[in-house]
Amino acid sequence: MSALSEFDYEAALAACAAGERAALQRLYAHEGGRLLGVVQRIVRDAALAEDIVHDACVNIWTRAARFDPARGSARGWIYSVARNLALNAVRDLAREVEVDDDTAAALDARASLEAWHDTADAFVWQDSLGRIGPCLEQLEPVRRNCILHAYVDGLSHNEIARRLEAPLGTVKAWIKRSLAALRECMG
Amino acid sequence: MSTTKTGNIPPEIHELAGEYVLGSLPAARRREVQARLADDLQLQAAVHAWEDRLLPLTGLVEPVAPSPRLWARIERSLDALALSAPRSRPAPRRAWWRWDSLALWRGLTAGGFAIATLLAAVLVGRLAEPPAEARFMVVLVAPDDKAPGWVVQAGASGARQVELIPLGVVEVPRDKALQFWTKAEGWSAPVSLGLVTPGQTLRVPVDALPAVQPDQLFELTLEPRSGSPTGRPTGPVRYIGRAVKVM
Repeated sequence: MSALSEFDYEAALAACAAGERAALQRLYAHEGGRLLGVVQRIVRDAALAEDIVHDACVNIWTRAARFDPARGSARGWIYSVARNLALNAVRDLAREVEVDDDTAAALDARASLEAWHDTADAFVWQDSLGRIGPCLEQLEPVRRNCILHAYVDGLSHNEIARRLEAPLGTVKAWIKRSLAALRECMG
Repeated sequence: MSTTKTGNIPPEIHELAGEYVLGSLPAARRREVQARLADDLQLQAAVHAWEDRLLPLTGLVEPVAPSPRLWARIERSLDALALSAPRSRPAPRRAWWRWDSLALWRGLTAGGFAIATLLAAVLVGRLAEPPAEARFMVVLVAPDDKAPGWVVQAGASGARQVELIPLGVVEVPRDKALQFWTKAEGWSAPVSLGLVTPGQTLRVPVDALPAVQPDQLFELTLEPRSGSPTGRPTGPVRYIGRAVKVM
């Protein structure tokens, strides 16, 4: 985490709010690759991901003055801007799919090609997860995977249920209980 | 209880906030939460807490190197924003401008298009890639004060799509939505290009429509949240402009 924590995100946002374009450029140079990685993982399309990172940077620039450090971390705010744009984009796409069976079938086929491994090893564990790491480890693997498929892969309840071949209601209940357990564990 | 800071957030708020930040909610529920966030302090606090709790999970994703063009594109958008920032003077409020209002177009011709042309020149001057087909640029301005609010690009990426790019953040009442329309000369009525999310770029495939023509009208009207019930604009025009062909 050391490389990440050395960058002063809060100062970067304050400088953006003051109209210093160099601050946004520094933020982009430091975080652009990871932002793009996170967004691309959710939208699964390289061109769309760049569109969204573009929109996110413009949003960060125009809304930086509204960031309030008392309410959360600057880095969390930056990622929430990008992730919300990405999630809105994939959810809106999914809404079209509901009325278009051909597209839905094509998406299903594409999904099945993506070689998901929904076992206990669906995600590679790293030591850098900080406080959430041990808390996630206390969850049963399948519930942990629900959380990670949602947050990291941007999958909806429905998509997770299909992926895990579990009933939708069960998946919803797993997620609710996992979130409650994480909140209790992390405070 | 609701206004004194945020103490004692009920569990169901934590739960909703958690699912929202996690991203697993379906589109309609997401929009509901986003609308509620505007004035629900407890929900805001719970969402921020979840954003920070879950943030380390972004570390599970490998970074992807952006193409060198991406930063240049961001800078172009910031240039456009900088140009539009000094808003023109406020004018008397007039709602219900219509497509064919002569006064509106006289007004725009006098004021708005100077800004539009300047903005188009700056944007186009900085476009790096060679054009694939005829490109059109539209600056949508508010009928009241001619302040530019959105840029429309057509044919810019070679694809048959229209891009609606926000130049700033606009406020839309909670029970309303902005709807995007276009009408070319000779069409009997405007065609909807979809609902607009404030602050977000909208990209609309236009394969089913004829190619964009010079002077084609584009506008954003204020409609019920689920869009115009009649398939034609029913609410006041919030932003409007005509297509200009660019090199």
